[in-house]
Amino acid sequence: MTTVRRKRIRGYLFVVFLLGIPFFASAQSAESKPRKSEIYFPQAPLPHTWRNSLGLVFTTTPPELTEEVRVSVPAIDLNFQRGLTKRLFFAGRFQTQFVQNNLSLGLRWARPITDRLAVSAGYDVSGWGGALEIKDVFSSQAYGLESMPNVSVGYRLKNDLRLTVKSEVILDHYYRSEVGTLAIVRDRLQVNGFAFTIVLEQPFYHQRYVSAGFRAAYSNFNWQLWSLYDTFDRNLFYPQLIFAFIL
Amino acid sequence: MEGVYVVSDGSTQFGSEVALKWSYLLEGTDSTHYLSVFTGIDAAYFNLEGSAQTDSLVMNGYWRKLVNADIGLARLVVQAKHNGRLQAFTGKLPVGDSLVIKGLYGAGKDAPTQPLTLQYARPLNKRPFSIMAHRSGGRTADLLPASENSVAIIKLASRLGATGIEMDVRYTKDGVPVLYHDNTLNLRLIQKNGLTGSLESYTYKQLSALVRLVNGEKIPTLEEALEAVVYNTDLTFVWLDTKYAGPMEPVQAIQQKYNQKAKQAGRDLTIVIGLPTTDALDSYKALESKANTPILCELDTAITRSIGAGIWAPRWTLGPQTDEVLAMKAQGRTVYVWTLDEPTFIEKFINQNRFDGILSNYSPVVAFYHYTEQ
Repeated sequence: MTTVRRKRIRGYLFVVFLLGIPFFASAQSAESKPRKSEIYFPQAPLPHTWRNSLGLVFTTTPPELTEEVRVSVPAIDLNFQRGLTKRLFFAGRFQTQFVQNNLSLGLRWARPITDRLAVSAGYDVSGWGGALEIKDVFSSQAYGLESMPNVSVGYRLKNDLRLTVKSEVILDHYYRSEVGTLAIVRDRLQVNGFAFTIVLEQPFYHQRYVSAGFRAAYSNFNWQLWSLYDTFDRNLFYPQLIFAFIL
Repeated sequence: MEGVYVVSDGSTQFGSEVALKWSYLLEGTDSTHYLSVFTGIDAAYFNLEGSAQTDSLVMNGYWRKLVNADIGLARLVVQAKHNGRLQAFTGKLPVGDSLVIKGLYGAGKDAPTQPLTLQYARPLNKRPFSIMAHRSGGRTADLLPASENSVAIIKLASRLGATGIEMDVRYTKDGVPVLYHDNTLNLRLIQKNGLTGSLESYTYKQLSALVRLVNGEKIPTLEEALEAVVYNTDLTFVWLDTKYAGPMEPVQAIQQKYNQKAKQAGRDLTIVIGLPTTDALDSYKALESKANTPILCELDTAITRSIGAGIWAPRWTLGPQTDEVLAMKAQGRTVYVWTLDEPTFIEKFINQNRFDGILSNYSPVVAFYHYTEQ
């Protein structure tokens, strides 16, 4: 690992630490009321209840990989969360483009700081995989394992509008790629990059709420683009637009 | 001096083994020789130029890692190890002596301070193998000192380990074959100038006057590019990738002209037209005469056979395709694979020893794995 890379890792961890400071601050607060109208806002669902969202994520490909072709790759995005205790909840997410899929499972601990402000910390583990069989073009498949420690800070604005900022460090644990009969494996833990997400959650119509946001990932590898076999050892920018109906 | 060397000082940065290879650049009657060092770490390579000092041969230059932006200066001295002691290398190496190259490398523009020691271990792998560099030598995205598909990158290609290059051919509005990859003029490849749209919308005169590639070069005509290949480099193979739609005759005429010029200049050089699509195949089939027109087919084996292509070039993402490769080779065809950049797969493809060459954006990596193969 290069010195530059070590410095970057320290930088990522510092940002996560800063966003986590509210956890260590003591503050009296009140629980907010609706718990089924948010997915990103740091508040646990009621114990033993589910809350879900279904939507789309559009990932724009970096020019370093797709050159003049700037594709906005859509993926179906399903979030499913379940309250375990008053503050601890399970957070699952499934993203699919049919030929490649990602299932993420994690735990979050959330607590309100004030009537309006809340924070959460979590750890998600995600497995991804994809296969491409196209005559005269691809006979390839790949899968891997990543994890994402994360911290969120949410603020409840007026008119039932919630603003959440989430910070994640993306860690690579395992990668396997196959072309025909050849395979390569990388199983060394390394920091892949980091991501920041900003999401607004608000009423849409009737009792229906939506999440609309933007995720800026700055990482070395992105599972959705595994088939491009990125060989750059430098972080690339992967902007994502998020839109989902909270069910 | 060419050979595989064991790295003692500097192995964490450049790996335990490196391959050293000479190349040259001709400019009129002048020739400049360069020593390249190919490593197995992060697509790192050295580009060194020799200068004879009073009592030793000194190599100055730079190192670079293609996978990131790491770069630095290097200054190495060639020495001979005689009875366990280092002494000046006089140009001749008595039996029993071995070469040791010692010196310093640095980071960025700082003066070199880190020690680097290379000790000769064995000769380079002699198996014939084509190391072909993509985009006429290298990709702009890899932050090379010359733009992709420029005359400058063609002159750099050998120093990056290439024995051949692939270049992208398009026609200008007035029918001049030029080198350019993308469908449009865009800031990925050219400096900001206000021009938009396809390259085919502009005449060569307009492009020549108004457009500069990202590192300041002009978009070269195919003739300028091949002139550089024949008269400035030691490259032995050129793959003309068909990015144009339309008649192939003008490109065929230039291909034949420069294959002939190379022959007259005593150069071992083959220029082939690549057929990547069925449109390109149709253009080839429409040629009035196919004599003296070597081609390379990227389509399936049946099509490759049906048109009598001497070279078959499948995508690497299809895997080793052992049966197909062996069958094509048994019929006397050459088989290349493209465009393979993943170092571990490069190593595996080379070790399997079935393909005749690899087209890559990382020709230093292909060079390293080929020359160090035992």
